[in-house]
Amino acid sequence: MKLRRLLQSRELVVALILLGIILLIGFINPSFLKPDSLLAVLNSSLILMLISIGEMFVLLTRGIDVSVGAITGLSAVILGTALNANVPIPMAITLALLVGLAGGLVNAIGIIYFKVPPIIMTLGTLGIYRGTMLIITEGSWIERIPQAYKSLASSSFGGIKLFIWITLIIVITVTVLTRRLKQARYFYAVGDNEEGAYLLGIPVKLTKFLAYSLAGLFAGAAAVVFVAQIGVVPMQTGSGQELRAIAANVLGGVNLAGGVGSPVSALVGAIFLNVIDSMLIFLKVPGYWNDAVAGAILLVVVLIDYRIRQTLTVRQRQERLQAKTIAERTPRSLVVKEIE
Amino acid sequence: MNILKWFRSWEAALVGMLVAEIFVIGSIAPSFLNLENLLFSTSDFMHIMLAALPLTFVIITGGIDVSVVSIMGLSSITLGLSWVMGVDIYAAMGIALLVGTAAGLLNGLLVANTDIPPLVITLGTLFMYRGIATGLPGVLEILGFKAYGAAGFSAYMYEGITGLPGKFTELAHGSIGWVPYPLILVLLFAIFLALILQRTPFGRSLYLIGVNADAARFSGIPVKRTIVLAYITSGIGASLAGIMLASYFTSSRSDLGSEALLPTITAVVLGGTSILGGSGTVIGTLLASLFVGFLKQGLMAMGVTSDIVPVGIGSLLVLALVFKMAVATLNQYRMNRHALGVKDTI
Repeated sequence: MKLRRLLQSRELVVALILLGIILLIGFINPSFLKPDSLLAVLNSSLILMLISIGEMFVLLTRGIDVSVGAITGLSAVILGTALNANVPIPMAITLALLVGLAGGLVNAIGIIYFKVPPIIMTLGTLGIYRGTMLIITEGSWIERIPQAYKSLASSSFGGIKLFIWITLIIVITVTVLTRRLKQARYFYAVGDNEEGAYLLGIPVKLTKFLAYSLAGLFAGAAAVVFVAQIGVVPMQTGSGQELRAIAANVLGGVNLAGGVGSPVSALVGAIFLNVIDSMLIFLKVPGYWNDAVAGAILLVVVLIDYRIRQTLTVRQRQERLQAKTIAERTPRSLVVKEIE
Repeated sequence: MNILKWFRSWEAALVGMLVAEIFVIGSIAPSFLNLENLLFSTSDFMHIMLAALPLTFVIITGGIDVSVVSIMGLSSITLGLSWVMGVDIYAAMGIALLVGTAAGLLNGLLVANTDIPPLVITLGTLFMYRGIATGLPGVLEILGFKAYGAAGFSAYMYEGITGLPGKFTELAHGSIGWVPYPLILVLLFAIFLALILQRTPFGRSLYLIGVNADAARFSGIPVKRTIVLAYITSGIGASLAGIMLASYFTSSRSDLGSEALLPTITAVVLGGTSILGGSGTVIGTLLASLFVGFLKQGLMAMGVTSDIVPVGIGSLLVLALVFKMAVATLNQYRMNRHALGVKDTI
């Protein structure tokens, strides 16, 4: 019984697999297990982690947002341009977050008020945001980001990078909120059964609206980390991140059919994908195998998950059938005894 | 077929949009309005058409295949590697097509035999096929095959496998009169797919699966086999696109076609196929992909940089859907009013 409960928590299964992989790499190359290298992996997962948490809200409501990578790119370009125009750092960060939020709002309006299917709407805005990004910069990279801003990425507190602290605080806050706050449960209710949620009086449209806006906002936050960490804004900033964010969520146990998942899923999935990238470096496998390994692991995890769910439902059905046959037999056997 | 009815269909609207588009762009950039030019510029986006046409099948069943963009690169690099290893170029094309078929088969088997959303599966295979395409030359090198052309590894990383024979590159550059070979291939492929979709039990059952897969199963339709075949068709189309791209660019690269996802899905959806499954036509996709392709060519002819093209295609995709949704809502509203006996005021 206990085992079944644990197996049903995909976050835990994936976290265990992740731990196994980390130990395996450590066995082959012990330098991977040094706190410094582990923290470096964590540090490089921050961007994907933030995008994935935003994406999680959309996936919870049974939607999908493939424009988050492009929003990150657009926010990064705005942030870089603002910083180079000597806008104060807090202002520039706010601006980047607002651009992200605006990107999410456009998606939300199209999907909720014009009823465009989410994949189409966000695929369209993916092109629009990416094009806008190129128009603003005329295709050239943004370089010479002020040192004051770049130093944010290297500043640390208690031996751990500032951005790691901030991201962890965000993850913990969001996790607690999604567990405790009634309104946060609306995301799950809407994704699980939209019509049911509507009939219960849950503001379905507002909830979905918030989900896409949050996805945009978190993509903007990822841009804030990106510009500080990388120090330049290349034109392919955030490109392909939307697919990685969806993959991270699915790996961590967020169900695309809506209503299942937690910020921890996004967190574990994002770290998992980055560990795979670093793993190949530590195992001295050429870096161009990253995609193949990540894709294969994604497929294997969803297939294992499918098998587990399949077995569990079959067993549940058998138990129910057995219970029924026992219930049917008992009175008759009693009757027989009485006659004897 | 009722001609008047056809004029109200989405395909007729697409023909109108296509003609209007060509004339609007032509009036701004007169050099664009040249039949020979128009016909030859289709070669620039034939890979989108080749991938979008069979993708229609998959989307009609209610699925989606985002891995087509990776299958293009995988087929292209398989072709190049087979050729470098001494396989005849036509046989290499066969191998590339087989790889595309196998890639589609894997997608189809996974989609048909599990309840995992097709987007997740093809997202996984998108990564996997792309990774295999970039990693394959390295494996061949380890196995002792000479995987690169005369120029060596660094040249390969930069420009792909070059020096493909002339009879192969002729495939994408040759023409009969003013009609280039790729366009002929696209049209033949479209006719073939349209006949399958409209005239065979397989084609018709795709629609039923898209509307209601359970009902399809209870009516005795081999649902799994049909879905697998749809994904295989999509893989073959993407593979053809990859081969033609290699021929068009006279080099085989693993990243060919990686930018094609947005225009390909735009072409299918703009062509009238419902992303939720159950409706769509091959002709619609063909017309829409011409529309998307000419939009790109037209914007470039007008002197717009290629950076802005995705903005155009993205806006087009969203606007087309907003329009379709508005029409559907209006029709629903009218029918409701009609059913209630209220006089039509709109």
